[in-house]
Amino acid sequence: MTKIDLFKTHKADYVAAKTPVVIEVAQATYISITGIGAPGEHAFTNAIEALYAMAYTVKMTRKKNNQGDYVICKLEARYWSDNGECLSKVDKSQWHWQLMIRTPASVAIADLEQASAALISKGKSAKVKDVELIEHQFGSCIQMLHIGAYDDEPRTIKQMLTFAEQENLSVGNEHCEIYISDPRRVPAERLKTILRTPLLC
Amino acid sequence: MQQQTRKSYLSRMVRVLNYIQDNLDKELTLHELAAEACFSSYHFHRIFSGMLGESVKELVRRLRLERAATQLQTTSKSILEISLDAGYESDMAFSRMFKVKTGLSPSVFRRSLQLRYPCLTQSTIRYVTNERITSFEPFKEKELNMNVIIKEVEDILVGFVRHVGPYQECGQAWDTLCCALAPEGLLGGTAKMIGVSHDDPDVIAPQKLRYDACITVPENFSGIDDVAVKTIAGGLYAMTTHLGSYENLGTTYRQIFGQWLSQSDYESADKPCFEIYLNDPESTAPEDLVTDIYIPLAKD
Repeated sequence: MTKIDLFKTHKADYVAAKTPVVIEVAQATYISITGIGAPGEHAFTNAIEALYAMAYTVKMTRKKNNQGDYVICKLEARYWSDNGECLSKVDKSQWHWQLMIRTPASVAIADLEQASAALISKGKSAKVKDVELIEHQFGSCIQMLHIGAYDDEPRTIKQMLTFAEQENLSVGNEHCEIYISDPRRVPAERLKTILRTPLLC
Repeated sequence: MQQQTRKSYLSRMVRVLNYIQDNLDKELTLHELAAEACFSSYHFHRIFSGMLGESVKELVRRLRLERAATQLQTTSKSILEISLDAGYESDMAFSRMFKVKTGLSPSVFRRSLQLRYPCLTQSTIRYVTNERITSFEPFKEKELNMNVIIKEVEDILVGFVRHVGPYQECGQAWDTLCCALAPEGLLGGTAKMIGVSHDDPDVIAPQKLRYDACITVPENFSGIDDVAVKTIAGGLYAMTTHLGSYENLGTTYRQIFGQWLSQSDYESADKPCFEIYLNDPESTAPEDLVTDIYIPLAKD
């Protein structure tokens, strides 16, 4: 059986261009967990851990049951504010976030329920219960690769906004990221992150 | 102090090298060589190949060929005799190898007295008849740019699946392990992925290499399916981080044993090394892989 690698199959969705480009991301399945607060905070890192625990438990359990094998995709995140204000003007503690890992559509809610029950039975954080199976459509987006520290992102975002203006595109206030590098292992100045801003239709 | 240890590793290795030269016709065992210089035999070979840049087998084979070349030009022994002395089963096999190394057949080489056997390795160790080695410059693959941390490690309880065969083919063991542990809720969170390599691939044939794919488990875990339980012994370890493809792990091992250890104040302990894999090789580009390597150290 061939192994599914959605990150490769949907290469166009994850194009890491050095200058802004417009892409279209169709509806897809993700496992996801949401929360409010500054990225990197305790609740945020716990959520990442829970999401990965679920991702691997579901994947390997399905593999064991001959339900196919797939590669765990890169971590993605959406950020937005409650009142629709631009994130740069909102205190980080008020940021809403959704962490997501793209998953084959064959993964079912029952897989997640089974996985969270197994993890909790072994004393893992109950946070795994908050991991959901969702469908999401990013639609039309401006996308660009950012190399460097997360704090340095405004420089890339500015480029994306200038591009939007030039092209006469209106952007929403949602900001999305796809983490190519592992921040625990890669020095900040070399971190690779795909930035994505969905367009208003 | 460091200078002294380095000298001691060097002088001990010099004894091994002289012993090899003195006993070039014997089938030397690693155990015997290690004993000659008070090395524990467990990691001796890694220290040897790290410091010399070639394995014992390669060195012996090369020295025998170099001796054969000398004998061709300085003695009247028959080529067959010289071939057998060099460890070849026939003069045909010897001639073939000789030609590969020098581009000349033994008989042509014999007639051209001004020809020298070529230096085919970076090693400073050469076959000599009337000299003894007193010191040598340890092999350097590249400048040692290695961060090593000495750690006191606690015993680590793991579930594991044994793989026997080439190290690159250990994926099946990982699949078996992860498939068995996942439905039990034992993947994720703080579970660590650890690899224990029991054998030195420079010494042991690929089909016989033993490797344990391990994942840390809670105390009450008693095994499931093909997964057994064991403890990775704690103690003093030297830890360094290998960045990049698993294919190049061997280089880092050679460096830590050959360069770092031989210049440190430490001796290796008779336990296997282990590796902790910090990311998922399936979804990570090889150059972005991060692996912590642990080398067991003896306590004074």
